[in-house]
Amino acid sequence: MCEHNGNIYTPRPVTIARTLPQIEHHRLFQLSLEDGSSWEEFGHQPGQFIEVSVFGKGEAPISISSPPTRCDHLEICVRRAGKVTGAMFEMGKGSRLSIRGPYGRGFPVETFKGHKLLFVAGGLGLAPLRSLLLYVLDKRKDFDDLILMYGTNRPDNVLFKYELLSFFDRDDIKYLYSVDRDDEGIWKQYVGVVTGLFDRTSLSPGDTYAVLCGPPVMYRYVIDRLLKLGFAKEHIYMSLERMMKCGVGKCGHCAIGDKYCCTDGPVFNLTEVEHIKEAI
Amino acid sequence: MKLIEKTKIKGVLAEWSKDFNVLCPSLTPNGDCLFDDFDPQTFTLEYRKPSMPQKRSCFPQAEKIFDVREGSFVPAYNHKKTVLFGIRACDHMGLRQSKSFFTRDIVDPFFGCRSEDTVIVVHACSWPQNETCFCTTVHSGPYATADFDIQLFDMGTDFLVEAGSDKGRRMISSSPFRDFDVDDAQERLERVKHMAFNSIPIVEEVAEAMDILKAGGANETVWEHLGRKCIACGGCVYVCPTCTCFTIHDRVTSKDSGERVRTWDTCLFEGFTKEASGHNPRPTQALRLKRRHEHKLLHYNPVDIQTALSGCVGCGRCSDSCPVHIGTLEVVKAITDHIY
Repeated sequence: MCEHNGNIYTPRPVTIARTLPQIEHHRLFQLSLEDGSSWEEFGHQPGQFIEVSVFGKGEAPISISSPPTRCDHLEICVRRAGKVTGAMFEMGKGSRLSIRGPYGRGFPVETFKGHKLLFVAGGLGLAPLRSLLLYVLDKRKDFDDLILMYGTNRPDNVLFKYELLSFFDRDDIKYLYSVDRDDEGIWKQYVGVVTGLFDRTSLSPGDTYAVLCGPPVMYRYVIDRLLKLGFAKEHIYMSLERMMKCGVGKCGHCAIGDKYCCTDGPVFNLTEVEHIKEAI
Repeated sequence: MKLIEKTKIKGVLAEWSKDFNVLCPSLTPNGDCLFDDFDPQTFTLEYRKPSMPQKRSCFPQAEKIFDVREGSFVPAYNHKKTVLFGIRACDHMGLRQSKSFFTRDIVDPFFGCRSEDTVIVVHACSWPQNETCFCTTVHSGPYATADFDIQLFDMGTDFLVEAGSDKGRRMISSSPFRDFDVDDAQERLERVKHMAFNSIPIVEEVAEAMDILKAGGANETVWEHLGRKCIACGGCVYVCPTCTCFTIHDRVTSKDSGERVRTWDTCLFEGFTKEASGHNPRPTQALRLKRRHEHKLLHYNPVDIQTALSGCVGCGRCSDSCPVHIGTLEVVKAITDHIY
């Protein structure tokens, strides 16, 4: 009888080394491997994702938030939203999870080398972009100017707050942020949607790659803005979110047009998805 | 090439049942034909289009994929060596396409194992099995052209038997299979194939609709109209030889133990694309219906479709069974008629 070693659906055990509260319903989980292997061997790239298993609840696709340059732990930033993430929020340090991966095509870091980078993130969209952002910061001399535009809906919903604040002390990254609204009047910076930040800095579209991730409504507006500014379509990359159930291009849930978000993406160049009506 | 008397088939299947799980056409008490384990009482050769394709032999409707013991996942391979006897060419093309999809690039071990351990005996059609057959349009029938083990052609009281693989050749090497040693054996076979092919009408609208989709899509009102009719029962997916979408869920028997199961799922269901946040990138039934049909007729993978024209293999079952008449035949006509 035929058997396949290395069954693609078999999850491996990991332990929660630490949980770091972020904002309401969002938590950063630091994971440790249980089987003696290392995260270096795991071999993840910026922009990839894993399937997290909680037996009894199922599996959920979660972006990897930490770069391959920092392999003490694997970090995932999770919003409590469904059954799996709901169960994860009941777990603390030392609890066991199972994961599969890494999956998907991440950001083309080799293509980006030597170029300027513009990150545009909205809300939890910062989670997958952070793996690239920290990677670039860790290999800073390989890349040219770096701009991060980050928008959240309210001032108290900024993810990775202290990490982001530390960027103000650096002169090798320009950080611009926005909030959609500020009912209490506490926000000292720009109030409005993230595209408003484009008026507050100068960009050089010719030698800049733009990478974006955010809520569904954000993509169209940001892409329109980038194209108007003169960005070539080939220079616009985005991470798309879909219900990636199996992670290996078989279950069909994340199919868009002739592409599978989980294996062809989740990172796409604009030229690859602009013709697919339901993609963005 | 071989011959066998039809009356001897039952004995052959009884013999094969010693080494294999033989799935074959079987009559239910109310006269339907289903594929079931060989039983001399219910086995029949008097069947037309079985109401279900035989995808479940490689891709069961629900299948345990892991035994979970105290949080550890142990893959569950629990299939037997199988002979799939008497499947139609359209369904065989469905299996070929699904096998390519499941084992290309990254191998799905469950489908892969079952398919490797399956002997395929195709029962070629001599004429259309009912009015919705359109295999000749999409190049999937009425007979198989590759990747089968044995193929049977109806010659009245006998079957003409063609071997498609070494395994198949060995299985028909001895009595009651006998040599068909006439000089013009190949010519006779070609004549039978030719007559069968010409008996099944070509549905011109299929290729036309595919061209329209390729050129930028059908009028959105086609999908809106069909989407309003669709009751999202998933019946077309259930009977489709090439629909392979699935979902995975857990059955817990005690804390941290139980089984992980995968079951058929469909892009026609609202929850299929819905994300945990509540956002649904495919929010209307019109878009979901469009997705299903565009996957068959436009977004198919050119490698996976093998020698067929599309990801639809022309079995016509969706048109047979849809309670609101949205089978592939009705969809391609709606696209080409420009009536909406």
